[in-house]
Amino acid sequence: GKWKNKERVLIFSSRGINFRTRHLMQDLRTLMPHSKADTKMDRKDQLFVINEVCEMKNCNKCIFFEAKKKQDLYMWLSNTPQGPSAKFLVQNVHTLAELKMTGNCLRGSRPLLSFDPTFDKEPHYALLKELFIQIFSTPQYHPKSQPFVDHVFTFTVTDERIWFRNYQIIEEDASLVEIGPRFVLNLIKIFQGSFGGPTLYENPHYQSPNMHRRLIRLSVAAKFREKQQVKEVQKIKKKGSKVLIEEDPTEVVFETPAEEKPVEIQLVKPESKPIVKDKKKPRKIQRKKQKKLFRTE
Amino acid sequence: MSHRDAGPAQFWGQACAPPYPCKDGLKQCLSEFKQQLAWVERLDVTSGQVADPVSQSASDKDAVDPENDFQREMSFYRQAQAAVLEALPRLRKLQVPTRRPDDYFAEMAKSDQQMQKIRQKLKSKQEAMERSEKAKQLRAMRKYGKKVQTEILQRRQKEKKNMLNAVKKYQKGLSDKLDFLDEEQTSSQGNKKGSANQRIKKGPNAKRRYKNQKFGFGGKKKGSKWNTKESFNDVSSFRSKVAHNKGPGKGGKKALNKRPGKRARQKMKSRAR
Repeated sequence: GKWKNKERVLIFSSRGINFRTRHLMQDLRTLMPHSKADTKMDRKDQLFVINEVCEMKNCNKCIFFEAKKKQDLYMWLSNTPQGPSAKFLVQNVHTLAELKMTGNCLRGSRPLLSFDPTFDKEPHYALLKELFIQIFSTPQYHPKSQPFVDHVFTFTVTDERIWFRNYQIIEEDASLVEIGPRFVLNLIKIFQGSFGGPTLYENPHYQSPNMHRRLIRLSVAAKFREKQQVKEVQKIKKKGSKVLIEEDPTEVVFETPAEEKPVEIQLVKPESKPIVKDKKKPRKIQRKKQKKLFRTE
Repeated sequence: MSHRDAGPAQFWGQACAPPYPCKDGLKQCLSEFKQQLAWVERLDVTSGQVADPVSQSASDKDAVDPENDFQREMSFYRQAQAAVLEALPRLRKLQVPTRRPDDYFAEMAKSDQQMQKIRQKLKSKQEAMERSEKAKQLRAMRKYGKKVQTEILQRRQKEKKNMLNAVKKYQKGLSDKLDFLDEEQTSSQGNKKGSANQRIKKGPNAKRRYKNQKFGFGGKKKGSKWNTKESFNDVSSFRSKVAHNKGPGKGGKKALNKRPGKRARQKMKSRAR
């Protein structure tokens, strides 16, 4: 048949990505035959430059990976000339090469896309669903594609995030094996334009990774500070403002001091006391002797 | 990389200001963005999950605890399964092939090398498990074998003891049945005073019986020939003629064979010389 649906997706990244992100990008390029690659974008350039890059490559969709602080990975999904676009925080990345992902699929085969019913309930999810469909589905009769449908991408909304999984269809009775990759998308914002423009939606549940790390540090610091405070309070209590009680004149009334004894100075050493044996208390030696007597008797 | 908003959005007459979700703006954007493509181009399925036969909770997805990894992954799996079950018949109707024929060789997403590595890992895991299972079984069997062996040895000792006791009893004349040879153990125990005095069931004292059982019928080694009442009163071997020296001699006295005394012999000797 003829290839009519001319979708092309540009997949590339900024500088400063780590190996996992690089592998994820390569995996996406492998799985999507309608994708194109590009060199890393310099950080100095601003985001709307990407639109020009896409135009040069004749692509109408874009997946852009942005790495910040060598820790956080952000992903932009965009429809390039007019928008809309969405920015996500990517977490929990597992690539195709992991040995626990045992499935395999044809290179360039067309995927089934499976969505959660939640995607139909909210308008922002509906918009995201449309974006995902247009980006991830391989056009029919694309020259690099294989005609069979042997794997399925799942997008699920759990815990306010979008979970992505890729399964291989082994049998017609829907027994599946995971191929990979897998990642979790945390929506930040949806823009009306491509890489810019007015904000259509902001995710209230999103917490930036910086904020997250800051909160953790604060909680640890708060614990420590609490301990210190408790210690200080205890110290103060110990020192205590010792309350001065005034002298009570009526206390002395009933005091009767004892008679004074005459001071006797001893000049001669006193006689030594005679040692009186306590006969009632059996001394050890005596006891032994008693025992012996008993036996001979 | 700042993306400055171009002021509050103006959507076809409506302002879109924070707090952001302005649903009308989103809907209009979606309607503009949406492509009208045939389903076969998109291949998207929105479905719930396949009913879990093992699930205890109700089949609503809100029960899935995102922290529980296994439950979460199973929910994703079931969602994919539902999608596949829905989509494959549709594809078959549209005559889109879904099964790869066995002779169709093409490049796969993962290289053969990678698949080999995966297979190796799985195999090694399985082998490790099998090994541990075998070791466990061996240990259990050894324990059991030891137990059985000790039991057998004890049984043999017991049998030997019983056999010896039975033999002793027979020797002492307590039981005149040779039943023990037929490997039948009689449980009756006679008493030492002879089988003539067959006591009825009670037999000896319970304490005596217990001690007999425990220590056997050994008793004193020499003491079997006693002057007991019976042996004293037993006059069956009395011969009056022998006792009174009145019987016939045994073919005359052996006068011929009577040996002369010492003196007589010496005299004979000296006379002979």
